Amino acid sequence: MAAVTAEGPRGGRLVLSATSLIGPATVVVALGVIGPLLILFRYSLNDFDPRMLMIDALTPKNYIEFFTDPYFLAVFFVTVRVALMTTVICLILGFPLAYVLARTQTRFKNLLLIAVVVPLFVGNAVRAAGWMTLFGSRGFLSMTLMDLGITTEPTEIMFTETAVIIGIIAVNLPYMVLTLQSVLEGINRNLEEAAFSLGAAPLTMVRRVLWPMALPGIAAGGILTFILAMNAYATPVLLGGPEFRMMAPVIYSQFQLNNWPSAAAVAFVLMGTTLLLTIAASVATRQRFRD
Amino acid sequence: MARLELDRLSKRYGDFHAARDVSLDVAEGEFLVLLGPSGCGKTTTLRMIAGFVEPTAGTVKIGGRDVTTLPPWKRNTGLVFQNYALFPHLTVGQNVAFGLEMRKVAKAEADAKVLDALKLVQLDHLIDRLPRQLSGGQQQRVALARALAFRPDVLLLDEPLSNLDAKLRHDVRVEIRSLQQRLGITTVMVTHDQEEALTMADRLVVMRDGAVRQIGSQKDLYERPADHFVADFVGRSSFLSGTMAGDAEMKTAGGLTVRCAKSLSGPAVMALRPERVYVGREPISGQDNTFPGEVEFVSYLGSLIDIHVRLSPQDRVIAQVPNHDSAALPAVGDTVHVGWAATPAVFPADSDMRA
Ligand SMILES: Nc1ncnc2c1ncn2[C@@H]1O[C@H](COP(=O)(O)OP(=O)(O)OP(=O)(O)O)[C@@H](O)[C@H]1O
Ligand SMILES: [Mg+2]
Repeated sequence: MAAVTAEGPRGGRLVLSATSLIGPATVVVALGVIGPLLILFRYSLNDFDPRMLMIDALTPKNYIEFFTDPYFLAVFFVTVRVALMTTVICLILGFPLAYVLARTQTRFKNLLLIAVVVPLFVGNAVRAAGWMTLFGSRGFLSMTLMDLGITTEPTEIMFTETAVIIGIIAVNLPYMVLTLQSVLEGINRNLEEAAFSLGAAPLTMVRRVLWPMALPGIAAGGILTFILAMNAYATPVLLGGPEFRMMAPVIYSQFQLNNWPSAAAVAFVLMGTTLLLTIAASVATRQRFRD
Repeated sequence: MARLELDRLSKRYGDFHAARDVSLDVAEGEFLVLLGPSGCGKTTTLRMIAGFVEPTAGTVKIGGRDVTTLPPWKRNTGLVFQNYALFPHLTVGQNVAFGLEMRKVAKAEADAKVLDALKLVQLDHLIDRLPRQLSGGQQQRVALARALAFRPDVLLLDEPLSNLDAKLRHDVRVEIRSLQQRLGITTVMVTHDQEEALTMADRLVVMRDGAVRQIGSQKDLYERPADHFVADFVGRSSFLSGTMAGDAEMKTAGGLTVRCAKSLSGPAVMALRPERVYVGREPISGQDNTFPGEVEFVSYLGSLIDIHVRLSPQDRVIAQVPNHDSAALPAVGDTVHVGWAATPAVFPADSDMRA
């Protein structure tokens, strides 16, 4: 920030040093991300024949196919739905947790923080394997429900959308909590007390003070978890089973069929949708914050 | 606008008493100031009134109603914070309207009240600004308007002026006081600025280590301090320590026999206000006490001069004299006479106070 906004005689030097600071990162991004993306985008416009594989062309065929084929459309809607639901649930679960974390001042704070962060040390695949033992029809959850007499039949959560949603929430919740926590921590406690003394009960205080003030952070956390959910791979594959399809695994299965043009098109639809919804979310929250 | 009663209000953190047996009776429309050194429990007491700190014992009554167990949002107190605590995402008008909105006041009526409150602090022209577009003094006045707009039963101010510069502090001080009087609103203010306390309060409460040491008017505290601490904390005093020797007489550490207007026994401390100590070239006639001494230090304050006179190796008094004729002032090393009337400001020696 300082380097960009600084003015006066030293301004030129600062801009120069800023360039040298972000330069290397820019090169890495350009070579490592933009390059492959351009190639992939070019592929997505190619034609495909199961025997001859990729054929040079300039056709929107793959995109049209995606938005007309019921299989792809179903994948698309399931992905967006799962991503939206997990994001909303992460927000609902994450906000109170983040609030407690932000306001705890005792030595328990570090313990709580560690408890939130530790799940991030476990890879998605390992975690999903853990969930599998919990969700299966002979898994812990099902057995417990039957033992308690709440259900009589084995409950099959494994290989359902519910399992995937729970799994993705478990992965994404720490990101949401950490983002919200840092924003809430920046809100002076006196503001809450001011609201209370003016007659606001706790929920009203949250709605009128914390929520609007934390909105930029809520947007950031929401966007982050939304992007993660849209692009989830291991969790839908392991917990959703063979019948359940989200976009990231579908891209991979198209690659496996050697259908690079289709895979590339799906990848770009995924990216485009994510980008579009993300921009929509930040525009919406920015306007809300202004009025 | 209501009477505020605290009855033996206490707050303990573990073994530590942040406030102990604080009893206050603030009349309707009275301006009470809590005064005391840092950490003496002023904020704790104020926050117990507002409902942010749960007392360990005792009760808080507002307008005769026991509110001890009520949460802050049900107490109808207006609170002004040291850092103003304006909502940064709301305009000045929306900030001031907040309390009215919480009380479900109809829009038109609320708008009128917001404007009224902002007019009181002369900031109605800034109604659409955001807090960050205001100066510190303006923010302070918006905070005041916000706390007053919904006509709280009690107005609570925690060092409201300490973030303002000296000039502004004087102005806002007068403004708050006249506003408070005009609205007749029961007010408790916390400060550790003595001058602020003396100029604003109807009555003052001097606290130390969580306990109330004295409650009274400016004159009460100055003329009749209850103990060594109050005599030292409010105004300026020089102290003579010694032992009571018979009726209304104290033998100082340096062996002087000083007459006073109070009977005690045992170790004692006498407080002398510098402007009540007279200095002359001859023994001072018409005073109960007069002693010769040597001028040790002269401090030139402009219109007033402080003269520190040593009466014995252990006893020293400070006299404050008007600067009528600087040529006639004694110089360091001169032998002079000091005298003063027998004073009731004699206290049992306080083990945790230095004489
Ligand atoms: N939550 C707490 N836990 C433990 N001790 C506390 C707590 N809050 C306050 N105290 C202690 O209680 C004492 C009184 O605090 P308080 O804030 O009331 O002082 P104060 O008179 O307002 O001082 P200042 O003029 O510095 O603001 C202090 O010694 C403080 O350390
Ligand atoms: Mg304080």
